[in-house]
Amino acid sequence: MTITIDGSRIDHILEILVKAANGDYDVRVALSEHDDPFLEVELGVNYLLEELIERRDQNQAQHQELLARARQLAEQQDELVLALSTPVIAVWPGILALPLVGRVDDERAAAMTVALLDRVVAERASHVILDLTGVGAIAPSTMPAILRMVRAIGLLGARCLITGIRPELAQQIIALSDRDAHVQALAQLSDALALVLREKGALRR
Amino acid sequence: MPFRYEEKTTPKGAPLLVVHASGHVSFADAEELGNRLVAKGPNHRWLVLTLTEKGLEYAPAARKHFQTMKDDYGSLATVVTSPIVRAAINMMMRLFGGAPNFRMFSDEAEALTWLDAVRPVR
Repeated sequence: MTITIDGSRIDHILEILVKAANGDYDVRVALSEHDDPFLEVELGVNYLLEELIERRDQNQAQHQELLARARQLAEQQDELVLALSTPVIAVWPGILALPLVGRVDDERAAAMTVALLDRVVAERASHVILDLTGVGAIAPSTMPAILRMVRAIGLLGARCLITGIRPELAQQIIALSDRDAHVQALAQLSDALALVLREKGALRR
Repeated sequence: MPFRYEEKTTPKGAPLLVVHASGHVSFADAEELGNRLVAKGPNHRWLVLTLTEKGLEYAPAARKHFQTMKDDYGSLATVVTSPIVRAAINMMMRLFGGAPNFRMFSDEAEALTWLDAVRPVR
């Protein structure tokens, strides 16, 4: 088959293809009522551009969906981390234990305080054992927040005992002020639990 | 509406669905035609005569939907006067890999004669 095509039609198609290759899919080959097979080529280019737009829109929608899913997962992860970072356990009726693991910063201390005070009220707790055995480090600015939490527990009518204090933490507590140093400390969580249970009359010597 | 339907008979008395097509055909329009031709539709396996007008365009989703109707009409004759519309239908045929019992005409009378000649046993 031999057909004669006006050069301007080919130039126009090439111009459209260059634009499409640069990411502009909104361009279209202007169609005239030429009754020849090249019209199908021109139309085919337009159909291809429409397909590209459809695929682009699908990809964008998929991308948005993935972003939303990633945000949702991040939120769930934050909630999980928060829950795991503040594992308040009712070890006996009225006795709560908070075994801390890892680094405690201001944000975590604030979350811990909220969660712990809520539980003290909800469980009508008389004693809270704060176990620092697994704490690697406490940010210097965070220690006052922890000691404030201890005082807040006292204001709610419960007594706070701290266990597992490492030498460097002890120095931190002392360095803060004498006023805060009156916190009752014991070596291990089991010691604190035994003491409280004896006080409650639940354990005999 | 891009599609206007008429239920008629061919010169030899066979049931005929005439589709007047103009403007921009959307997926919903194509789906409406498909619903007439499906197994429980009112025009299933009928002969179909499509009369197209200049400027007729098909949305990408509509083009794809036509492919699903291959087995739902008896024979399909399309009367085309615009080269652009003809090119569009040719392109669709290429995309579908052809369609059974389909032909394009530039004259309605010729189309009806062909439909009567090829009409399938119902």
